[in-house]
Amino acid sequence: MNLSDMLGSDVLDGAGERLGEVSDVRFALDAGAGQLLSPARLVGIVVSPRTASSFLGYERQEISQPWPVAQLLRWRHRGSFLVLWEDIAVMGSEGVRLRSGFTAYDARLTR
Amino acid sequence: MSERKRVQPRQLHAAPSPAGLVLDAQLHLLDRQMLDVDGVPVTTVDDIELSGPEPNEEIPEGTAPPQITALLTGPVLGTRIFGGRPPSSRLIRIPWKVVAGVDTVVTLGVRADSMDASWVERWLRNHVIARIPGGSHEP
Repeated sequence: MNLSDMLGSDVLDGAGERLGEVSDVRFALDAGAGQLLSPARLVGIVVSPRTASSFLGYERQEISQPWPVAQLLRWRHRGSFLVLWEDIAVMGSEGVRLRSGFTAYDARLTR
Repeated sequence: MSERKRVQPRQLHAAPSPAGLVLDAQLHLLDRQMLDVDGVPVTTVDDIELSGPEPNEEIPEGTAPPQITALLTGPVLGTRIFGGRPPSSRLIRIPWKVVAGVDTVVTLGVRADSMDASWVERWLRNHVIARIPGGSHEP
């Protein structure tokens, strides 16, 4: 499966209500980096209620300059949240459906 | 307009922080330049191939998360402007296991000459540039 099939597709909750669109897909490397990188596993998807466009890096907590751009992008992506892999029931080109009772996490990156 | 109706989760929890490097696909990987082990530009990341569940099929609970199997590159300019995407057969795979680092560029641990992604440059070097007088050696 290719990532571009999923980016920008609709995200529905367990009852079929629309939550937003897939704005980004988060991966994590569990082992420390050696000469080559260790496998990258999917952590979850970032759901943005209004736009599937990129955050342009403003999802990092400490970035706030230039101020007008940061404000605009934060406002455009307000209400975004992270859903972990465990809560994804179906994903693909027809959209992503979450399990009922999924947990929404803060999507901001700390570093 | 009912299909545009949105519901919002009521409460956001603090996200678990994985011990290792965290990569957001759009932010850290897609459209990044790839450099080979000698710093020679190879190509850019146009798409990412994932292992794991079949698309659009129910994922059983407890399934292991998908992993990145390869970075994909190919002729995507036209499809970005006009929509759609090139067939998978037209995309060139760069396996994730040769990736050495992700920073402002994606660094590979192999030489560009060993990869399919740089065949156009190699062909032009051998068949066009090398035939220009003085083109077969460094200045």
